[in-house]
Amino acid sequence: MSPGPGRDDDRKGIERELKRGSLELIVLHLLSLGEAYGYEIVTTLTARTSGGLEVTDGTLYPVLYRLERAGFVAVRWETPQRGVPRKYYRLTETGQEELGRLTHEWNTFANAMAQLLRQQPERT
Amino acid sequence: MNADQLYIDRVIAQIPLDAALRTQVEMELRSHIAERVEHGQSVEEALTHLGDPIVLAESYLAAIPLIAAPFWPRAAARLIDSLGVLALIAMPIIAFVALTLWREQGFLIPIAIILTIFVVSILGALYPVIAEYRYGKTVGKHLMGLRVVRESGARISFGQSVVRQLPMLTQVWWIDMLFALFTDKHQRAFEILSKTRVVVAREEQS
Repeated sequence: MSPGPGRDDDRKGIERELKRGSLELIVLHLLSLGEAYGYEIVTTLTARTSGGLEVTDGTLYPVLYRLERAGFVAVRWETPQRGVPRKYYRLTETGQEELGRLTHEWNTFANAMAQLLRQQPERT
Repeated sequence: MNADQLYIDRVIAQIPLDAALRTQVEMELRSHIAERVEHGQSVEEALTHLGDPIVLAESYLAAIPLIAAPFWPRAAARLIDSLGVLALIAMPIIAFVALTLWREQGFLIPIAIILTIFVVSILGALYPVIAEYRYGKTVGKHLMGLRVVRESGARISFGQSVVRQLPMLTQVWWIDMLFALFTDKHQRAFEILSKTRVVVAREEQS
């Protein structure tokens, strides 16, 4: 039986929810590798996951704004001699702590899921 | 106007007028579009990556928590607006009518008073519709530190502004107001219907 379009929508929905829930963790982790500007974050994510994880600009920038407001990310503007000023983002100390907390939460969840999915049906 | 400026304007149009976020979002979007263009993409491609301007504005606004305006400051704002309409519109008309007609055409005074009440009612109903649509607040709300927004925090449309004021044209406006005492977000019935809220205008938004 083919999965059908409804199944496909469900799968995409789960993927979207998973991504939404982990986007802050993803962005904080990428910024822990070093200061970056918006487009750099988008391309680094795609490159480091071989295209497995992608984020659109429209999703990323509000998340960066939220992280900036929460004090997890600090910003600086670099004004070139010609062209438009570029905004750089870097992780703050509280951002580092938040990254540690979110990473721990993620690992606990992922381990629990892995443990569950490893279990085989009991034979009677 | 360029496509990028049109897009930025559409995003900004959703954000309350005096919010500091407007300037920040405008600068950020200009910068992010330029980043993609510098990497060889067209402006149109950059805009595609940003997605729908209304959704983008609402995603930014979602980062700012909305605080429901308490009942009494709202009531005080309404009182200030009503007194303002009376003082600025009704009193001068009544004074003018009384001074000019009193001696010679006293019989016209009742007609003039009825006309004044009519004009004041119309302007009293129109004022919040226009002020809340255009500026997100009336004078009373401004003085009480309140603002009218959509449930997402975005600016309200003209239609929403009209629907919000519909109960004021009826005899049961007070029932509509009582809803604000009992609903979670202190919303009147017609605010729930119009998907709008009155919130505290916080420093970061102003």
